[in-house]
Amino acid sequence: MNTTNTGATGPADVDLNRVWIGVAAQVWHRQPGPLERTAARLLRSPALARALLTAPSLLLGWVIASVVVLAAGAVATVSTGTPFVALLAPAVAAAGIAYAYGPGIDPAWELSQSMAVSDRMVLLVRALAVFALNAVIGLAASAASGAAAAVTFGWLVPMTAVCALALAAATLTRSANVGVAAGLAGWAITVLGSRVAGGSLTTAVASASLILPYLLAAVVCIAIAWYATRIPRGTS
Amino acid sequence: MNVEISDLTRRFGRTQAVDRVSLETGAGVFGLLGPNGAGKTSLLRMMATVLPPTSGKLRLLGRDPGHYAPRREIRRRLGYLPQNLGYYPGFTVTDFVEYFALLKEVPPGQVPRAVAAAVEQVGLGDKAKARLRTLSGGMLRRVGIAQAIVNGPELLLLDEPTAGLDPEQRMAFRALLRDLGQRATVLVSTHLVEDVGAACGQVALMDNGKIVFHGTPDELTARGEGTGAAGDAPLERGYSAVLAAARSETAARA
Repeated sequence: MNTTNTGATGPADVDLNRVWIGVAAQVWHRQPGPLERTAARLLRSPALARALLTAPSLLLGWVIASVVVLAAGAVATVSTGTPFVALLAPAVAAAGIAYAYGPGIDPAWELSQSMAVSDRMVLLVRALAVFALNAVIGLAASAASGAAAAVTFGWLVPMTAVCALALAAATLTRSANVGVAAGLAGWAITVLGSRVAGGSLTTAVASASLILPYLLAAVVCIAIAWYATRIPRGTS
Repeated sequence: MNVEISDLTRRFGRTQAVDRVSLETGAGVFGLLGPNGAGKTSLLRMMATVLPPTSGKLRLLGRDPGHYAPRREIRRRLGYLPQNLGYYPGFTVTDFVEYFALLKEVPPGQVPRAVAAAVEQVGLGDKAKARLRTLSGGMLRRVGIAQAIVNGPELLLLDEPTAGLDPEQRMAFRALLRDLGQRATVLVSTHLVEDVGAACGQVALMDNGKIVFHGTPDELTARGEGTGAAGDAPLERGYSAVLAAARSETAARA
């Protein structure tokens, strides 16, 4: 650790330490990439933009895995006629949401909790970004599998509910794995339950009567997640 | 006073991690000593606004962290090094320190200079562009210290900061602590008594969630006079004597 050269001066009263810090600041500073710059402009916060790019489920490997799964779903949809993209998209998005932020997922989570930019805001931004990205990938996969055009938009509402369920479970239990399990289990029960009731796998994504229950479930789960991420008062 | 704590308590289920602790401190280096499980980390986490207290009063930098706006202001002026620092393996040293400077809301125009100054202060200038996964444990600890001081904190909370540092680095770190303590309140939690003796003006000793001693390192040393073995450091004798007295008092009450 350097404590001896603080305030060192040169012959012409030049503070060499200060000059070096200025040089080092120029040399060491990494210019953010176009994606980070765009995110910083949109979010009006370079901190949130950087937090977005460190989200585990927005890293390239995760995004590629999501694309591969939904591409496989698109192929299966084309070849069988069953809308696998619509059934897979909510599950893939729920896993991404649960893995967006939390202890054990974000390496510096404990430290992030003591920051001026609140961890709730980081979670919100990451969750919205993961949702938006998965919606785009899902729409592309749906478009590629023309056989499922009728339910292309049908899965966006259930996806919202399943993602909200995964988020609520992950934040409440502080475990991404529990969040994924809750999201997948919730979606599987819904799909199988509506198949029993409606006789088809597509009922869960095609039935208009389910839209209101999905939206209600989403609102309740988001409220739970909001409650779970509060810092309780009572510190004074 | 930068830290005002009154009857602060934290429970985890049936375990009382911090038991009615009261403490006030202004600028200077304050050492928090105690055996494992004494409650040092829980107390520090409450001061870092990471862990809400179960009961009691806590004011930091003249503000109440129980409300959003003052808490955010405290966090802008706070430096915190947790006991277990997580890091992003692919980040460079400057990326990591810069990320936390941004999260502490250091004005973006000042960030590169603040990062360079913090990295230089912990002696990692030659590793500034190294990936964190390539650094040793001691170097990672210094990266953690750099992120803690990057915003020029008025309140600096360091949990076991010298863990993993070699003797030369520890001496340099104590010099840095003394320097920082001239303008900020620095709380250092440690179980290494020599760090406290060399750098701290005040010391509190915790055991079973309670503060059992509060005074200067010299006063702690004085408590150990006439006890211990010949090879023991004077401050260690004081530490052991105070702990033994506190425990026998507790046993006598029970």
